[in-house]
Amino acid sequence: MTPVDTTIPLLTAQEIHWRHGDRTILGPLDLEIGAEECLMVIGPNGAGKTTLLRLLTGLLPPSGGELAWRGEPYRQFSRRQLARRIAYVPQVRPTRVPLTVEEIVLSGRFPHLSARRIAPAARDWRVVRRALAQVEIEALAQRPLDELSGGERQAVYIAAALAQEPRLLILDEPTTHLDPRHQRDIARLLLRIHRGGEQAVVVATHDLNFASRLADRVLALDQGKMVACAPPSEVLSPAHLDQLFAAPFELLRGGQRPLHLLQIDQPIDLHAGDE
Amino acid sequence: MKKASRKLLLIAVVWLAVLVVAPLLGSHAVSLADALGGDSTAATILWRIRLPRVLLALAAGGLLALSGLGFQTLFRNPLAEPYTLGVSSGAALGAVIAIQTGLADSLLGLAVASFLGALAAGALVLGLAMRRQGIETSTLLLAGISISLSASALILFLQYFADPTKTFRMVRWMMGGLAVVGYREVAWLLPWALGAAALLFFLRRELDLLLTGEELAASRGVDLSRLRWWILGGTSLAIGSLVAVAGPIGFVGLIVPHILRRTVSQGHLILIPACLLGGGAFLALCDLAARTLMAPVEIPVGVLTALLGGPFFLWLLLTRR
Repeated sequence: MTPVDTTIPLLTAQEIHWRHGDRTILGPLDLEIGAEECLMVIGPNGAGKTTLLRLLTGLLPPSGGELAWRGEPYRQFSRRQLARRIAYVPQVRPTRVPLTVEEIVLSGRFPHLSARRIAPAARDWRVVRRALAQVEIEALAQRPLDELSGGERQAVYIAAALAQEPRLLILDEPTTHLDPRHQRDIARLLLRIHRGGEQAVVVATHDLNFASRLADRVLALDQGKMVACAPPSEVLSPAHLDQLFAAPFELLRGGQRPLHLLQIDQPIDLHAGDE
Repeated sequence: MKKASRKLLLIAVVWLAVLVVAPLLGSHAVSLADALGGDSTAATILWRIRLPRVLLALAAGGLLALSGLGFQTLFRNPLAEPYTLGVSSGAALGAVIAIQTGLADSLLGLAVASFLGALAAGALVLGLAMRRQGIETSTLLLAGISISLSASALILFLQYFADPTKTFRMVRWMMGGLAVVGYREVAWLLPWALGAAALLFFLRRELDLLLTGEELAASRGVDLSRLRWWILGGTSLAIGSLVAVAGPIGFVGLIVPHILRRTVSQGHLILIPACLLGGGAFLALCDLAARTLMAPVEIPVGVLTALLGGPFFLWLLLTRR
């Protein structure tokens, strides 16, 4: 791999928006993602988080505005070329997939494979083994995916995304539906990936403390509009969160990486932060 | 992988056995010794009638199974095949129009007409089922059924107004059969079957990736719309050329890939040759049954495959999770 120049943003989005009929689902918004950055996207259901991720992945062409990879517009890349740079782990996936863990992870090599070769090359297998090791699921390699738990499956799809050797890894709600132990496993994994410095990471999540712990910046979306994009200490304040989610939060711990607790018993006072 | 290749080898052996044995059997059994030993009747039956027919069945069955395989993977639905998606009916409508207008006097005219019919039906079904997020399979199947029904109604309409000889030709042809063939038809269809296999082989990795869902496949670099058009276009060409010589033969494309997927392999590297050989052997055996069960009367092979396919379709519907 060539050394990463951290001064040029990996990804630049200018005025991108997404319309469905007459309704604007997302944007217009501007965004830059740095080469080693971890960006967490938060916002209520329907805020446009998944749409944003799909736009950034290049799966959805924006209705307007421009996306660029290191200054070059997305449309100059083929699907395959983009897939060598950006990997995506969607939240919604088919329920039954008749493949083994190893086969799924190997599928991540697709953008690097030549159609002429019958079998993947030795290097592809090396990358697959490395991805399995990175996610600590070597022991599962030969197991059918359908036999695994939700947490294990999530790990498998992250390994497959890593096998793509992307510069940017995009994950849609990777900890949703997981029990605390697996939430922790995934969070630690993302932390390791982020610290490895080979990938920039963009994650959409509802877990605010997870976002606070990992993020360099937190992007808050509300009804398709970017309401904030700044370090966790600025975005994750009770006043902000109450407003964003229309639910009351209590600050448990302040500082660079604040922690919050959702208040279940108290009624919400939306104007508490205005004074 | 090793086990799968061994199973593929077994299918190849069965295929060879069918190729050798099926021409010897029929309403009048022929021995190889007679045919080679100067018995001219036996030689004529074997070389001029039965062998081309078995060869055509092998090619046609392979092509049908491959078309079904492509559609089932592309649409992630075991019920998708040329027959259920209306592509076969579209081809049949094209062919009936060709018979009615006299275009069908040449094989090429018949083939072009059925190809256009197949492509139009396929594009219509695909267009109806396309959503922003991808293909909606329930809409796809319903659209396929409505296209099938409409095409069948138009065929009946044309038959009603056709003169009796043409009507008979249409009706007999619609049943799907391999009865009156020579090497010309074999030479016509074989390249299509091999071409379909080559096309799918070239796209095998894309097809493997589709097993993980459209969204993930696209995120890994699969150009979905290009893939859809290749498979739809390729299949329509192949089905059009098949329908031109053998009429619409249903359900081979449904049964064979589904069974092979369950028993042989999920990977398309193995599945593609398995379908080419397995589909061929299956249709040749059906044809053997069609010409021996009620001998000397022949059952059109399309009727027989439909008799098998109907219950199989139902079983799939009921056991689908």
